[in-house]
Amino acid sequence: MESTPVTYRIIDHTADLGIIVKGPDVEHLFVHAAQAITDLMVRRHVSDKILIRDVSVEGEDFPDLMVKWLGEILYLFEGEGLIVNSIEIKSIGPIQLRATLALGRFEPERHQILREIKAVTYHQISVNKANDGWEARVIFDI
Amino acid sequence: MDFEIKKIDDWRYLIPKTGAMRVPGLIFASSELMPDIRGDQSLLQVVNVATLPGIVKHALAMPDIHWGYGFPIGGVAAFSLEDGIISPGGVGYDINCGTRLLTTSLFASEIRPKIKELVSALFRDIPAGVGSRGNIRLSKQEESKVAVKGASWAVQKGFGTEEDLERTEDYGVMKGADPAVVSDRAFKRGHDQLGTLGSGNHFLEIQTVDEIYDQKIAGVFNLFEGQLTVLIHSGSRGFGHQICDDFLKEMGTQVKGLGFSLPDRQLACAYIKSGPGKRYLSGMACAANYAWANRQIIMHWTRETFEKALEIAPGDLQMELLYDVCHNIAKLETHVLGGKKVTLCVHRKGATRSLPPGHPDVPQRYREVGQPVLIPGDMGTCSYVLAGSQKAMEETFGSTCHGAGRVMSRRQAIKVAKGRAINRELEDRGIFVQARGRNTLKEEISEAYKDVSLVVEAVHMVGLAKKVAKLRPLGVIKG
Repeated sequence: MESTPVTYRIIDHTADLGIIVKGPDVEHLFVHAAQAITDLMVRRHVSDKILIRDVSVEGEDFPDLMVKWLGEILYLFEGEGLIVNSIEIKSIGPIQLRATLALGRFEPERHQILREIKAVTYHQISVNKANDGWEARVIFDI
Repeated sequence: MDFEIKKIDDWRYLIPKTGAMRVPGLIFASSELMPDIRGDQSLLQVVNVATLPGIVKHALAMPDIHWGYGFPIGGVAAFSLEDGIISPGGVGYDINCGTRLLTTSLFASEIRPKIKELVSALFRDIPAGVGSRGNIRLSKQEESKVAVKGASWAVQKGFGTEEDLERTEDYGVMKGADPAVVSDRAFKRGHDQLGTLGSGNHFLEIQTVDEIYDQKIAGVFNLFEGQLTVLIHSGSRGFGHQICDDFLKEMGTQVKGLGFSLPDRQLACAYIKSGPGKRYLSGMACAANYAWANRQIIMHWTRETFEKALEIAPGDLQMELLYDVCHNIAKLETHVLGGKKVTLCVHRKGATRSLPPGHPDVPQRYREVGQPVLIPGDMGTCSYVLAGSQKAMEETFGSTCHGAGRVMSRRQAIKVAKGRAINRELEDRGIFVQARGRNTLKEEISEAYKDVSLVVEAVHMVGLAKKVAKLRPLGVIKG
C-alpha cells in the first residue's frame, strides 16, 4: 500500500487549510489521508528506527472516523514524536478502523517540520463514494 | 441557506431570524469592510450559531469577522445557563489565545541602533515555530499545577512578579479548573511546550507608540508617544488544542441525543448544566490557565533578554505589563438582559473582552478609564490599544474585535508573495523580522489581512471600545 501514489490536493480556507483526498477504495482513501496530513506536517525521511504499532479508531460514520483517524496520526506526531512511514489497514467499516502502523521517530536533525497543525476539524467534513472511487474533504486548524 | 442582510446604520447590519435561527444575527462593520465579509462563508456561520439552544439576544460578529470552522472568527454569542449550551468550537482549539502588552521607560529611538541585535537575541531566547519545544519540562503533576494556578504558578517559580497578576485578565487564573478531566494526550502534548510562542500568527513584536488618540487614558495606561513597547501573542499550545479536540469528539457523539440538530458538526455542544458541559468548562479552564502561565513566562524571558542585550538594569528599563487579555474563551459573566442581571455563558471566538470604566473586574489602576483592549494588526502595519466601553456591555456582552482578520488563505498569500523578499521589504520600512518557518513571512504578509485600522475605526465609531494609541512595529519574531 506504501507504493500507491498519494492523491490529494490542498484547498483554500481563509484562516486554515483543507485537503481533498481520493482513493480507489475506502481503504486507500484513509491511507492517502494519513499520508497527506503527514506530508503537510513534516518532510519525511525513511527512518532506520521503525516502531510497529497497532491502532484502532472508532467513529459513528465515515466522516467521524476520518476526523478521529487523522487526529490519531496528528497526536502520534505532536504528542509522541512519531511519524507514519507506512500503513497496513487490517479492517475498515463506517464505525471502526484497525491498522498496523510502521512509525519512525522524529529526529530534529533529519526531519524538517513544515507546519503546525493544531487539530483536524469537523467543519464541512465529507467522505463520499465518488464516480471513480472515494473522496474526502477535511479542514485542519493551523 | 438563504438569509437576508439588512443595513441598520453605518456600522451595523442585521440578519433577521429565518429558518432554524432562534435569534437574529448582528454584524458590526463598516461599508468598507462588508464586501470581504460577504465574500466568505462567515455570515452563514453567524446564522448557524443563531440556531443553537439557549442563545440570547443576537448571534454577534465583530468587524474582523472571517470564515472559521463552526463559529466564525470574530464571533460572540451568549447563552442562558438554564437552557443554553456551551460549545468547544465556540472557543476554538487555541483556548485563551491572547495578547499581552509591555511598556518601558525608554524611547524607541534610544534602542534603534540595537534593534537587529535585540530581535536576534529574542529569537534565540524564546522558542518559536512549528513544533517548538521549550526549555521547561513538566511532569504530569507539575503540569496539573500549571492548569490550576495559571500565571501565578509562573510567578511562584520566579517568572515575573505579583504585580503582573493584577494586570492580567482575571488575575491570570480561571476558577474551576480540574486536571482530572484532562486527557493524558493533552498532558503529553503540553509537557514541553510551556514558554513557547508557537507558529502561524503568533508573534513577539518590538514596537513604538506611534500616535496617541486619548491623552488622559494613555496617561493612566502609562503610554507616551515614541515609547518602546513589546506585544506578545500566544496561547495554550498543544495542551489546549488537545483539550478542545477531546471534548469536541465526546460532545459530537452525545449531542445527537439532545433533541436538536446541528447545521455543522464543528458546532458540537452540551447543555451548560449537564455533566459534559461542566466537565468541558473545567477542562477549558485548565487550558486557559496554561496559556496565562505561557505568556507570563515568555514575558519574563523578554525582560531578561532586553536587560542583557541593552545592558540595562530592570529599574532603568521598567518593562511593565500593561495588560494581558484573551480572545478565545467562554466565560460565565453577569450581564443585564431585559432590565435584569443574569449570569450568561459568553463565548468569544476571536473577540476581546471590553469592560467599561467602573466595572469591578477592571484592575483598580484602570477602573476609572476602562479595561485595556489590545488589538494586534499584521507584522507590517500597526496594532492598537483601546479602552473598554459601556456600549460594549449593552450591545455585545462586553466584547469587541480581536485583530485584523485574514482575507487571504495562506496558500493565496504565498502565491502573492512569490519572488518577493518579504524580510527586505519590511526592513526597508524599518521593521526587522526573524521567522522560524520557511513560508511564515509569505503567509503573514500584510496583504493577507484586512486593514486593522478599518477594523479598529469601526469598533471605535460604534462605541465597542475607545481608541487610545497606535503602536508601530520595529522588530518581529515569528514561529
